[in-house]
Amino acid sequence: MPDTPWPPGIEPVVPVPGYPNTWTHTPARAPFPRAPGATEHSAPAALHRKLATGEANLAERSKGRPAIGQLMEISGRILDEAGRPVVGAIVELWQANAAGRYAHAIDTSAAPLDPNFEGHGRIRSDADGRYAFTTIKPGAYAVPVQETWWRPPHLHFSVFGPSCLSRLVTQMYFPGDPLNDIDRILQSIPDAAARSRMVARMLPPASVGSVHLGFTHDIVLRGRFATPEG
Amino acid sequence: MHPTSQQTIGPFFPRGFIGPAEHDLTRVTADAEPTTQGEAVMLRGSVTRAGGVPCVNAILEMWQADAAGRFGADPAFLGWGRAFTDAEGRYAFRTVIPGGFTDATGTRAPHANITVMGAGLMRRVLTTVFFPGFETEADPVMAAVPTVLRPLLLAEPARREKGLRCFRFDIRLRGENETPFFDL
Repeated sequence: MPDTPWPPGIEPVVPVPGYPNTWTHTPARAPFPRAPGATEHSAPAALHRKLATGEANLAERSKGRPAIGQLMEISGRILDEAGRPVVGAIVELWQANAAGRYAHAIDTSAAPLDPNFEGHGRIRSDADGRYAFTTIKPGAYAVPVQETWWRPPHLHFSVFGPSCLSRLVTQMYFPGDPLNDIDRILQSIPDAAARSRMVARMLPPASVGSVHLGFTHDIVLRGRFATPEG
Repeated sequence: MHPTSQQTIGPFFPRGFIGPAEHDLTRVTADAEPTTQGEAVMLRGSVTRAGGVPCVNAILEMWQADAAGRFGADPAFLGWGRAFTDAEGRYAFRTVIPGGFTDATGTRAPHANITVMGAGLMRRVLTTVFFPGFETEADPVMAAVPTVLRPLLLAEPARREKGLRCFRFDIRLRGENETPFFDL
Protein backbone atom coordinates (compact mmCIF):
# COMPACT_ATOMS: atom_id res chain seq x y z
CA MET A 1 0.00 0.00 0.00
CA PRO A 2 1.28 3.48 -0.73
CA ASP A 3 1.94 4.62 2.79
CA THR A 4 4.92 6.86 2.20
CA PRO A 5 5.03 10.29 0.57
CA TRP A 6 6.39 10.60 -2.96
CA PRO A 7 10.17 10.85 -2.73
CA PRO A 8 11.34 14.43 -3.41
CA GLY A 9 11.93 15.51 -7.00
CA ILE A 10 9.84 12.80 -8.63
CA GLU A 11 6.54 14.63 -8.92
CA PRO A 12 6.17 17.27 -11.64
CA VAL A 13 6.46 20.86 -10.43
CA VAL A 14 3.44 22.90 -11.46
CA PRO A 15 2.51 25.25 -12.94
CA VAL A 16 4.98 24.82 -15.78
CA PRO A 17 6.52 28.03 -17.21
CA GLY A 18 5.57 28.50 -20.87
CA TYR A 19 2.68 26.05 -20.64
CA PRO A 20 -0.42 28.17 -19.94
CA ASN A 21 -2.76 25.17 -19.56
CA THR A 22 -1.00 24.28 -16.35
CA TRP A 23 -1.72 27.74 -14.93
CA THR A 24 -5.46 27.39 -15.40
CA HIS A 25 -5.94 23.68 -14.61
CA THR A 26 -3.74 23.17 -11.56
CA PRO A 27 -5.67 23.51 -8.30
CA ALA A 28 -4.57 26.57 -6.34
CA ARG A 29 -5.12 24.79 -3.04
CA ALA A 30 -2.81 21.99 -1.93
CA PRO A 31 -4.47 18.58 -1.72
CA PHE A 32 -5.82 17.75 1.72
CA PRO A 33 -4.03 15.02 3.63
CA ARG A 34 -6.27 12.22 4.86
CA ALA A 35 -5.57 8.74 6.10
CA PRO A 36 -6.06 6.27 3.22
CA GLY A 37 -8.84 3.84 4.04
CA ALA A 38 -10.49 0.85 2.39
CA THR A 39 -11.47 2.88 -0.69
CA GLU A 40 -7.92 4.07 -1.35
CA HIS A 41 -6.34 0.72 -0.59
CA SER A 42 -8.50 -1.20 -3.03
CA ALA A 43 -9.19 -1.30 -6.76
CA PRO A 44 -11.24 -3.54 -9.03
CA ALA A 45 -9.59 -6.97 -8.92
CA ALA A 46 -11.07 -8.07 -12.25
CA LEU A 47 -10.92 -4.89 -14.28
CA HIS A 48 -9.94 -6.94 -17.34
CA ARG A 49 -13.57 -8.10 -17.42
CA LYS A 50 -14.54 -4.51 -18.23
CA LEU A 51 -11.52 -3.39 -20.24
CA ALA A 52 -10.81 -5.76 -23.11
CA THR A 53 -7.13 -6.60 -23.38
CA GLY A 54 -4.98 -8.36 -25.94
CA GLU A 55 -4.27 -5.50 -28.34
CA ALA A 56 -0.48 -5.66 -28.39
CA ASN A 57 0.20 -4.82 -32.03
CA LEU A 58 -0.39 -1.19 -32.92
CA ALA A 59 1.77 -1.40 -36.01
CA GLU A 60 -0.42 -3.82 -37.93
CA ARG A 61 -3.93 -3.75 -36.57
CA SER A 62 -5.33 -5.45 -39.64
CA LYS A 63 -3.22 -8.15 -41.23
CA GLY A 64 -1.47 -6.91 -44.35
CA ARG A 65 -2.08 -3.23 -43.59
CA PRO A 66 1.02 -2.07 -41.76
CA ALA A 67 1.28 1.44 -40.35
CA ILE A 68 3.95 3.73 -41.77
CA GLY A 69 6.92 4.32 -39.53
CA GLN A 70 9.96 2.83 -37.87
CA LEU A 71 8.86 -0.56 -36.53
CA MET A 72 9.75 -1.05 -32.87
CA GLU A 73 8.97 -3.21 -29.90
CA ILE A 74 8.64 -1.71 -26.46
CA SER A 75 8.76 -4.11 -23.55
CA GLY A 76 9.54 -4.07 -19.87
CA ARG A 77 8.15 -4.86 -16.48
CA ILE A 78 5.56 -3.37 -14.18
CA LEU A 79 7.06 -3.38 -10.69
CA ASP A 80 6.15 -2.21 -7.22
CA GLU A 81 8.36 -0.09 -4.98
CA ALA A 82 9.87 -3.26 -3.53
CA GLY A 83 10.91 -4.30 -7.04
CA ARG A 84 8.41 -7.13 -7.22
CA PRO A 85 6.46 -7.76 -10.43
CA VAL A 86 2.88 -6.52 -10.57
CA VAL A 87 1.08 -9.46 -12.15
CA GLY A 88 -1.98 -9.01 -14.32
CA ALA A 89 -1.76 -5.22 -14.37
CA ILE A 90 -3.71 -3.57 -17.17
CA VAL A 91 -1.34 -1.51 -19.32
CA GLU A 92 -2.67 1.02 -21.83
CA LEU A 93 -0.41 2.58 -24.47
CA TRP A 94 -1.30 5.41 -26.85
CA GLN A 95 0.78 7.64 -29.07
CA ALA A 96 1.05 9.89 -32.11
CA ASN A 97 1.74 8.41 -35.54
CA ALA A 98 5.09 8.65 -37.31
CA ALA A 99 4.23 12.19 -38.47
CA GLY A 100 3.45 13.38 -34.96
CA ARG A 101 -0.34 13.33 -35.24
CA TYR A 102 -2.85 11.58 -32.98
CA ALA A 103 -5.80 9.76 -34.52
CA HIS A 104 -8.10 11.84 -32.33
CA ALA A 105 -10.83 14.24 -33.47
CA ILE A 106 -9.44 17.06 -31.36
CA ASP A 107 -5.91 16.88 -32.77
CA THR A 108 -6.10 19.61 -35.41
CA SER A 109 -2.45 19.41 -36.45
CA ALA A 110 -1.68 19.69 -40.17
CA ALA A 111 0.43 16.53 -40.10
CA PRO A 112 -1.11 13.64 -42.03
CA LEU A 113 -3.13 10.84 -40.50
CA ASP A 114 -2.18 7.26 -41.26
CA PRO A 115 -5.30 5.23 -42.10
CA ASN A 116 -3.54 2.13 -40.82
CA PHE A 117 -2.60 3.56 -37.44
CA GLU A 118 -5.01 4.19 -34.59
CA GLY A 119 -2.23 4.44 -32.04
CA HIS A 120 -3.56 2.65 -28.99
CA GLY A 121 -3.43 -0.80 -27.40
CA ARG A 122 -4.19 -2.48 -24.10
CA ILE A 123 -2.71 -5.64 -22.58
CA ARG A 124 -2.10 -7.25 -19.17
CA SER A 125 1.29 -7.84 -17.59
CA ASP A 126 2.26 -11.51 -17.36
CA ALA A 127 3.40 -13.63 -14.42
CA ASP A 128 6.74 -11.78 -14.36
CA GLY A 129 5.06 -8.39 -14.56
CA ARG A 130 6.22 -8.19 -18.17
CA TYR A 131 4.47 -6.26 -20.94
CA ALA A 132 5.31 -5.86 -24.64
CA PHE A 133 3.85 -3.89 -27.55
CA THR A 134 4.78 -3.79 -31.20
CA THR A 135 4.33 -0.33 -32.65
CA ILE A 136 6.01 2.35 -34.72
CA LYS A 137 8.15 5.13 -33.37
CA PRO A 138 6.03 8.27 -32.93
CA GLY A 139 7.01 11.59 -34.48
CA ALA A 140 7.64 14.86 -32.65
CA TYR A 141 5.08 17.66 -32.83
CA ALA A 142 4.81 21.32 -31.94
CA VAL A 143 2.60 22.34 -29.02
CA PRO A 144 0.20 25.09 -30.16
CA VAL A 145 0.91 27.66 -27.45
CA GLN A 146 2.38 31.14 -27.74
CA GLU A 147 5.90 30.16 -26.71
CA THR A 148 5.73 27.02 -28.76
CA TRP A 149 7.99 24.07 -28.18
CA TRP A 150 8.29 20.65 -29.73
CA ARG A 151 7.27 17.57 -27.85
CA PRO A 152 9.89 14.88 -28.32
CA PRO A 153 8.71 11.48 -29.55
CA HIS A 154 7.01 9.84 -26.59
CA LEU A 155 4.64 7.04 -25.61
CA HIS A 156 1.77 7.52 -23.16
CA PHE A 157 1.30 4.78 -20.57
CA SER A 158 -1.65 4.24 -18.27
CA VAL A 159 -1.24 1.46 -15.71
CA PHE A 160 -3.79 0.06 -13.25
CA GLY A 161 -2.15 -1.30 -10.13
CA PRO A 162 -3.74 -3.07 -7.20
CA SER A 163 -4.99 0.05 -5.43
CA CYS A 164 -6.69 3.34 -6.14
CA LEU A 165 -3.47 5.08 -5.08
CA SER A 166 -1.17 3.06 -7.34
CA ARG A 167 -2.95 4.19 -10.51
CA LEU A 168 -0.29 5.74 -12.78
CA VAL A 169 -0.44 7.77 -15.98
CA THR A 170 2.96 8.67 -17.36
CA GLN A 171 4.97 9.14 -20.54
CA MET A 172 8.07 7.42 -21.89
CA TYR A 173 10.79 9.07 -23.94
CA PHE A 174 13.43 7.83 -26.38
CA PRO A 175 17.13 7.85 -25.56
CA GLY A 176 19.31 10.50 -27.15
CA ASP A 177 16.59 12.71 -28.58
CA PRO A 178 17.72 16.36 -28.42
CA LEU A 179 14.12 17.49 -27.82
CA ASN A 180 14.09 15.67 -24.46
CA ASP A 181 16.22 18.37 -22.86
CA ILE A 182 13.85 21.18 -23.84
CA ASP A 183 10.52 19.42 -23.34
CA ARG A 184 8.54 21.36 -20.76
CA ILE A 185 6.61 18.29 -19.69
CA LEU A 186 9.58 15.97 -19.16
CA GLN A 187 11.57 18.81 -17.61
CA SER A 188 8.76 19.52 -15.12
CA ILE A 189 10.25 16.60 -13.15
CA PRO A 190 12.96 18.26 -11.02
CA ASP A 191 15.12 15.23 -10.26
CA ALA A 192 17.53 14.27 -13.06
CA ALA A 193 17.59 10.64 -12.00
CA ALA A 194 13.78 10.54 -12.05
CA ARG A 195 13.80 12.03 -15.55
CA SER A 196 16.34 9.51 -16.74
CA ARG A 197 14.09 6.72 -15.48
CA MET A 198 11.43 7.96 -17.90
CA VAL A 199 13.73 7.43 -20.87
CA ALA A 200 13.69 3.95 -22.40
CA ARG A 201 16.87 2.01 -23.15
CA MET A 202 17.58 0.80 -26.65
CA LEU A 203 18.28 -2.91 -26.78
CA PRO A 204 21.37 -3.93 -28.75
CA PRO A 205 20.12 -4.47 -32.31
CA ALA A 206 22.10 -7.69 -32.50
CA SER A 207 19.97 -9.13 -29.71
CA VAL A 208 16.70 -7.96 -31.26
CA GLY A 209 17.12 -9.07 -34.86
CA SER A 210 16.40 -7.39 -38.14
CA VAL A 211 12.61 -6.96 -37.96
CA HIS A 212 12.28 -4.07 -35.57
CA LEU A 213 14.11 -1.85 -33.11
CA GLY A 214 13.85 -2.88 -29.49
CA PHE A 215 13.42 -0.68 -26.45
CA THR A 216 13.04 -1.66 -22.83
CA HIS A 217 11.33 0.36 -20.12
CA ASP A 218 10.27 -0.60 -16.60
CA ILE A 219 7.47 1.20 -14.79
CA VAL A 220 7.35 1.33 -11.00
CA LEU A 221 3.98 1.78 -9.30
CA ARG A 222 3.57 3.25 -5.86
CA GLY A 223 3.23 0.83 -2.98
CA ARG A 224 4.51 -2.55 -1.91
CA PHE A 225 2.01 -5.14 -2.94
CA ALA A 226 1.31 -8.77 -2.67
CA THR A 227 0.48 -9.56 -6.27
CA PRO A 228 -1.51 -12.78 -6.49
CA GLU A 229 -4.03 -11.31 -8.96
CA GLY A 230 -5.16 -13.71 -11.61
CA MET B 1 12.72 1.39 -6.02
CA HIS B 2 11.47 4.86 -6.74
CA PRO B 3 8.01 5.14 -8.30
CA THR B 4 7.83 6.32 -11.90
CA SER B 5 6.92 10.02 -12.15
CA GLN B 6 3.43 11.04 -13.16
CA GLN B 7 2.98 12.90 -16.44
CA THR B 8 -0.08 14.55 -17.92
CA ILE B 9 -2.56 12.32 -19.74
CA GLY B 10 -2.58 15.06 -22.39
CA PRO B 11 -5.47 16.15 -24.62
CA PHE B 12 -5.66 13.02 -26.78
CA PHE B 13 -6.64 10.07 -24.59
CA PRO B 14 -8.14 7.78 -27.25
CA ARG B 15 -11.90 7.55 -27.59
CA GLY B 16 -11.26 4.00 -28.74
CA PHE B 17 -10.20 3.06 -25.22
CA ILE B 18 -13.57 3.96 -23.76
CA GLY B 19 -16.22 1.31 -24.37
CA PRO B 20 -20.00 1.87 -24.51
CA ALA B 21 -20.58 0.73 -20.91
CA GLU B 22 -17.39 2.14 -19.48
CA HIS B 23 -19.22 4.95 -17.66
CA ASP B 24 -21.79 2.44 -16.36
CA LEU B 25 -20.76 0.91 -13.05
CA THR B 26 -24.01 -1.07 -12.79
CA ARG B 27 -22.86 -3.55 -15.44
CA VAL B 28 -19.49 -5.00 -16.29
CA THR B 29 -19.90 -4.70 -20.07
CA ALA B 30 -22.57 -3.43 -22.46
CA ASP B 31 -24.06 -6.90 -22.92
CA ALA B 32 -23.75 -7.99 -19.26
CA GLU B 33 -26.69 -8.24 -16.90
CA PRO B 34 -26.77 -5.31 -14.48
CA THR B 35 -26.19 -5.88 -10.79
CA THR B 36 -29.34 -6.76 -8.86
CA GLN B 37 -28.17 -4.97 -5.73
CA GLY B 38 -28.82 -1.35 -4.92
CA GLU B 39 -30.57 1.63 -6.45
CA ALA B 40 -29.28 2.62 -9.90
CA VAL B 41 -28.73 6.37 -10.21
CA MET B 42 -27.08 8.83 -12.58
CA LEU B 43 -24.20 11.06 -11.53
CA ARG B 44 -23.63 14.00 -13.83
CA GLY B 45 -21.56 17.11 -13.76
CA SER B 46 -18.94 19.17 -15.49
CA VAL B 47 -15.21 19.65 -15.22
CA THR B 48 -14.07 23.26 -15.45
CA ARG B 49 -10.83 25.15 -15.06
CA ALA B 50 -10.08 28.71 -13.93
CA GLY B 51 -12.82 31.11 -15.02
CA GLY B 52 -15.38 28.30 -15.24
CA VAL B 53 -14.13 27.29 -18.71
CA PRO B 54 -15.08 23.70 -19.60
CA CYS B 55 -12.36 21.06 -19.92
CA VAL B 56 -12.76 18.93 -23.03
CA ASN B 57 -11.75 15.25 -23.02
CA ALA B 58 -10.91 15.26 -19.33
CA ILE B 59 -10.83 11.64 -18.19
CA LEU B 60 -12.64 10.70 -14.99
CA GLU B 61 -12.34 7.39 -13.19
CA MET B 62 -14.77 6.52 -10.45
CA TRP B 63 -14.28 3.88 -7.74
CA GLN B 64 -16.73 2.98 -5.02
CA ALA B 65 -18.12 0.24 -2.78
CA ASP B 66 -21.23 -1.71 -3.79
CA ALA B 67 -24.67 -1.04 -2.35
CA ALA B 68 -23.79 -3.06 0.73
CA GLY B 69 -20.56 -1.14 1.35
CA ARG B 70 -18.29 -3.93 0.10
CA PHE B 71 -15.43 -3.97 -2.41
CA GLY B 72 -15.13 -6.87 -4.83
CA ALA B 73 -17.98 -8.93 -3.37
CA ASP B 74 -20.55 -8.72 -6.20
CA PRO B 75 -19.29 -10.23 -9.49
CA ALA B 76 -21.84 -8.13 -11.38
CA PHE B 77 -20.53 -4.90 -9.87
CA LEU B 78 -16.85 -4.04 -10.27
CA GLY B 79 -17.28 -0.62 -8.66
CA TRP B 80 -15.23 1.09 -11.36
CA GLY B 81 -16.11 3.27 -14.34
CA ARG B 82 -14.47 5.74 -16.68
CA ALA B 83 -15.92 8.71 -18.54
CA PHE B 84 -14.66 11.59 -20.66
CA THR B 85 -15.98 15.13 -20.84
CA ASP B 86 -17.68 16.42 -24.00
CA ALA B 87 -17.22 19.80 -25.69
CA GLU B 88 -19.17 21.47 -22.84
CA GLY B 89 -17.05 19.75 -20.21
CA ARG B 90 -19.87 17.41 -19.16
CA TYR B 91 -19.51 13.85 -17.93
CA ALA B 92 -21.97 11.19 -16.78
CA PHE B 93 -21.77 7.97 -14.77
CA ARG B 94 -24.45 5.44 -14.10
CA THR B 95 -23.93 3.69 -10.79
CA VAL B 96 -25.67 2.53 -7.62
CA ILE B 97 -25.80 4.41 -4.34
CA PRO B 98 -22.85 2.94 -2.46
CA GLY B 99 -23.27 1.58 1.04
CA GLY B 100 -21.41 3.03 3.98
CA PHE B 101 -18.93 0.93 5.92
CA THR B 102 -16.44 1.04 8.74
CA ASP B 103 -12.71 0.72 8.10
CA ALA B 104 -9.52 1.53 10.00
CA THR B 105 -10.06 5.24 9.41
CA GLY B 106 -13.57 5.29 10.93
CA THR B 107 -17.17 5.19 9.81
CA ARG B 108 -17.41 6.02 6.12
CA ALA B 109 -20.49 7.68 4.69
CA PRO B 110 -21.63 6.52 1.22
CA HIS B 111 -19.08 7.94 -1.18
CA ALA B 112 -17.12 7.40 -4.39
CA ASN B 113 -13.58 8.41 -5.24
CA ILE B 114 -13.18 10.23 -8.54
CA THR B 115 -9.80 10.85 -10.11
CA VAL B 116 -9.53 13.42 -12.89
CA MET B 117 -6.86 13.56 -15.56
CA GLY B 118 -6.56 15.96 -18.46
CA ALA B 119 -4.48 18.28 -20.56
CA GLY B 120 -2.79 20.84 -18.37
CA LEU B 121 -3.01 18.61 -15.31
CA MET B 122 0.53 17.37 -14.81
CA ARG B 123 -0.62 15.07 -12.01
CA ARG B 124 -4.00 13.47 -11.64
CA VAL B 125 -6.23 14.87 -8.94
CA LEU B 126 -8.39 12.81 -6.61
CA THR B 127 -11.60 13.87 -4.93
CA THR B 128 -14.42 12.16 -3.06
CA VAL B 129 -18.11 12.66 -3.78
CA PHE B 130 -20.68 12.06 -1.05
CA PHE B 131 -24.33 11.30 -1.73
CA PRO B 132 -27.00 13.48 -0.11
CA GLY B 133 -29.35 12.17 2.55
CA PHE B 134 -26.71 10.43 4.61
CA GLU B 135 -24.89 11.46 7.75
CA THR B 136 -21.49 12.73 6.60
CA GLU B 137 -20.44 14.63 9.72
CA ALA B 138 -18.52 11.69 11.19
CA ASP B 139 -16.85 10.67 7.92
CA PRO B 140 -13.05 10.96 8.35
CA VAL B 141 -12.48 12.19 4.78
CA MET B 142 -15.19 14.84 5.07
CA ALA B 143 -13.65 15.79 8.41
CA ALA B 144 -10.26 16.32 6.73
CA VAL B 145 -11.77 19.31 4.88
CA PRO B 146 -12.62 22.67 6.51
CA THR B 147 -16.32 22.97 7.32
CA VAL B 148 -16.90 25.76 4.82
CA LEU B 149 -15.66 23.59 1.92
CA ARG B 150 -17.58 20.43 2.81
CA PRO B 151 -20.67 21.26 0.72
CA LEU B 152 -18.39 21.17 -2.36
CA LEU B 153 -17.98 17.40 -1.85
CA LEU B 154 -21.71 16.74 -1.73
CA ALA B 155 -23.58 15.71 -4.89
CA GLU B 156 -26.84 17.63 -5.38
CA PRO B 157 -30.16 16.06 -6.29
CA ALA B 158 -31.12 16.82 -9.88
CA ARG B 159 -34.07 16.08 -12.11
CA ARG B 160 -34.99 12.39 -12.46
CA GLU B 161 -34.05 10.72 -15.71
CA LYS B 162 -35.97 7.78 -17.13
CA GLY B 163 -37.16 6.94 -13.65
CA LEU B 164 -33.69 7.10 -12.12
CA ARG B 165 -32.67 9.53 -9.43
CA CYS B 166 -29.98 11.83 -10.74
CA PHE B 167 -27.26 13.71 -8.88
CA ARG B 168 -25.03 16.54 -9.95
CA PHE B 169 -21.38 16.91 -8.97
CA ASP B 170 -19.34 19.62 -10.63
CA ILE B 171 -15.56 19.47 -10.46
CA ARG B 172 -13.80 22.83 -10.55
CA LEU B 173 -10.08 22.30 -10.96
CA ARG B 174 -9.17 25.86 -10.10
CA GLY B 175 -10.79 29.15 -9.18
CA GLU B 176 -14.06 30.01 -7.52
CA ASN B 177 -15.48 27.15 -5.46
CA GLU B 178 -12.46 25.02 -6.33
CA THR B 179 -13.17 21.37 -5.56
CA PRO B 180 -11.28 19.98 -2.57
CA PHE B 181 -8.78 17.34 -3.66
CA PHE B 182 -6.90 14.79 -1.59
CA ASP B 183 -3.36 13.48 -1.37
CA LEU B 184 -2.48 10.61 -3.68
